[in-house]
Amino acid sequence: MGYDRWNRMDVQERDYVQHLFGKHISRGQVRYLRCAHLDIYERDRQGCTVMDAVSGKKFFDCFSSAGCFNVGRGNPKIREVLQKALDEWDMGSHHLLSEPKIRFAEKLASLCPGDLDKVVLCASGADACAGAIKLARGATGRNGVITMNKAYHGHEGFSLSANGKDYYKELFEPLMPGFHIVPFNDLEAVRRIASKDIAAIILEPVQGEGGIHVATQEFMSGLRELCDKLGIMLIFDEVQTGFGRTGKMWAMEHYGLVPDIMFTAKSISGGLYPNGAVVYRDIKVLTDYVEKNPFFHTSHSGGSDLGCIVSEAVLDYLVENRVWEHAADIGRRFKDGLMEIWRENSHVIREVRALGLMIGVEYKYEFLGALMAECLAKQGVWAVYSGNAPEVMRFQIPITARVEEVDELLARIRAAVNSMKIYLVFLLPLARIPMFRMILDNLKVQITTFNLIRDLEEFVSRYVLKALEFRG
Amino acid sequence: MKKNISTKQTDRDILFAAAEKVFSKSLVDEIRGRGHGFLEAGGEGAYAFDTDGNRYLDCSSSAGTFNLGRKNRVITARLKKALFETDQGNFVMPSEEKAMLARRIAEFVPGNLSCVLFGVTRGESMEAACKLARGFTNRPGLITVSGGCYGESGFALSLSERQGKEQFGGLIPEVTVVPFGDAQAAESAIGNRTAAFVMEPIQAENGCRVADREYYARVRSLCDRHGAKLIFDETQSGFGRTGTRFFFEQTGVEPDILIVGEALTSGVFPMTAMIFTPELKQFFDEHPLIHLCTFGGHDLGCRVAMAALDEYDRESPWINARETGEGLLKRLGRLAGKKRALKSIAGRGLLVSLKFASGEVARAFCARAAGHGLMVETGRVDGSCVLLRPSLLIGKEEESFIADAVKKTLGDL
Repeated sequence: MGYDRWNRMDVQERDYVQHLFGKHISRGQVRYLRCAHLDIYERDRQGCTVMDAVSGKKFFDCFSSAGCFNVGRGNPKIREVLQKALDEWDMGSHHLLSEPKIRFAEKLASLCPGDLDKVVLCASGADACAGAIKLARGATGRNGVITMNKAYHGHEGFSLSANGKDYYKELFEPLMPGFHIVPFNDLEAVRRIASKDIAAIILEPVQGEGGIHVATQEFMSGLRELCDKLGIMLIFDEVQTGFGRTGKMWAMEHYGLVPDIMFTAKSISGGLYPNGAVVYRDIKVLTDYVEKNPFFHTSHSGGSDLGCIVSEAVLDYLVENRVWEHAADIGRRFKDGLMEIWRENSHVIREVRALGLMIGVEYKYEFLGALMAECLAKQGVWAVYSGNAPEVMRFQIPITARVEEVDELLARIRAAVNSMKIYLVFLLPLARIPMFRMILDNLKVQITTFNLIRDLEEFVSRYVLKALEFRG
Repeated sequence: MKKNISTKQTDRDILFAAAEKVFSKSLVDEIRGRGHGFLEAGGEGAYAFDTDGNRYLDCSSSAGTFNLGRKNRVITARLKKALFETDQGNFVMPSEEKAMLARRIAEFVPGNLSCVLFGVTRGESMEAACKLARGFTNRPGLITVSGGCYGESGFALSLSERQGKEQFGGLIPEVTVVPFGDAQAAESAIGNRTAAFVMEPIQAENGCRVADREYYARVRSLCDRHGAKLIFDETQSGFGRTGTRFFFEQTGVEPDILIVGEALTSGVFPMTAMIFTPELKQFFDEHPLIHLCTFGGHDLGCRVAMAALDEYDRESPWINARETGEGLLKRLGRLAGKKRALKSIAGRGLLVSLKFASGEVARAFCARAAGHGLMVETGRVDGSCVLLRPSLLIGKEEESFIADAVKKTLGDL
């Protein structure tokens, strides 16, 4: 009863928390994160850094919960808005209208380009993805959906069927029929499948989990043209790319075109209170469908009164501070810094890809993902590799990061790359032997090895060093 | 109780016009047709408010969410404090908040259900449950019963009896629907290709339909015999609503997977959960991060849920739900005999269904009830039912208010 102790933790306390997490949630997850020193316990969540409750060390948050913290962690303005709102509001009733719901929806629509004027409130990215696919299928009366290789849209039935990675799907099959996966940026492949049986083409303008792949202008323009010709609904997943992340309010603005449907979530929550939305064009086929089926996708958790108050404050903050311009500026600086590191290390780093503050560094070897995460963590940089592409390290820092913070972060990344080189002296020759390469790239081998090293490290620091201290 | 927020008539009209434009005209018309053509302005305790200064006894509770009343003060105060100490966190990370809430839930839920996966929508927890059952058993078959209502996402929708779902194209395959309460049909359907048998043990949206205890026992033993997993969705019946902590305690059987809804935080924060046995957790031990949810296990949400569980333990609202529910059922039962429009009454605890002759009458009832200060909705599966789902902390005064408002509304029909 009344557990209320959220300060620093010692190692024993951390072990107990890990034990509980393993016992009640997933032991595998603990081991997975522990292996690359990614098991930190966040305190002082402010701006773009957090403090580890155990070591007291400062960490840069380069993951941002996959891009949830565009207004920075613990943004004081958003916190105040939520605190104040709690005097009057709760989640509200899903079946009623309220001022926060209407005001947020109006403001969101006003910030979307073109005739993206209509809104369906949802609770999360996956919930919104389901809403978007239901809207496209319902409005067109067609079944087919074209989706991209390595795409990531969520884990519920519709969005999972649209995911482009087998790991997330194969143990849960059969999923929904009618989903066709094509290579990203391959217009010809889309053309081959596109027909009047296809309801929607769905894609992320920049694939996040897929390893920061940016859609080309040619691909996007081609898709728009194809969709117009065949009456297919073009759907953009702007869950990670929206709200300033790529240097524009929406990634679609880089291409000068609008999709028929787009959906969003993550950062609209301000990192404090879940929310999400589908926004669609006010065009006959969609508007008529929704007028006939106003409850085609309802949500109890989505579009809550508190969520909408927070989301409206987030939109105000983004606009007042022109956050997307800051993302473009510091994104450029960050990318330039990483390009310099790449030039010095082109034998291990293949490429740096970026759009605004959505940045990916691709290594030449898959196994470097976990190793680099470990080296970064030791330098106080919390970064994870892409879920659908382990050879790509993602950098999606909160957009509120200051220039000096970006410079400090770059210095830490450089130090991490330098420390990784020590391991590479013996790993790179091994990686040239196909059998060893297979072992090195195997996730289970990585988890077991890194956990063993971690056990050894902790044993040494806990017992051997203590004993030496005692004798000294 | 007078609200200090007040929207002028004109403001309200402007906002309604905006809602027609940004959502849809038919949505606004539909809401107006249900007698709810006002702007909700929060709530407190058993009541919801509108911007015109009216208050309604909230018998909808956003489909069984506000079990400890609207804007529960203790839970809200804990959220106010927590929001300056933590935030959402990084969803892939273990955190102290997630671990502590998981332990708390394991203590709170009876039986062997001690493992958790957090979600943000009620449907999503059903997604996770179906996936866990398929993944663990390595079988495709999902069997459910008629009259189910699990949510609007992929798996949940595929299993639900939901009008017009065929318009969403090909849904999840290998789903079989058997008649609710028919043990013979369950026996014929469950086999060695069955991953899970899915049901709401009490179908809130379908006139609060329940089966006899033998049925649940039979389904449980069929699942055991064939190695299938039993999934109970207690989104609406959990957290004391039916007079016990969870309705499954009244069925005499324990599921392998239990789904709970936003009552987990009493509607202060969007959070749901799938609660399951340690046996099933092996799957997540072997396949970490295979089912992710950015907002599930939100650290701030975990703090809110912990506060709510403390309140649930302190208040034991299931006792009041049982006693007040019995009183309410008796009073309403007397009306059913006298008023022609009202066909019958069903329910457990403070989950009560009024059955009318048709959907039209039920809708008219909701619209008229609002005029008597009672906020109610029709069932989503059986639209000729009207549901009463008030705060579990209501007293005699509110019990009388509900009974009187129902009586007056019936008089209007």
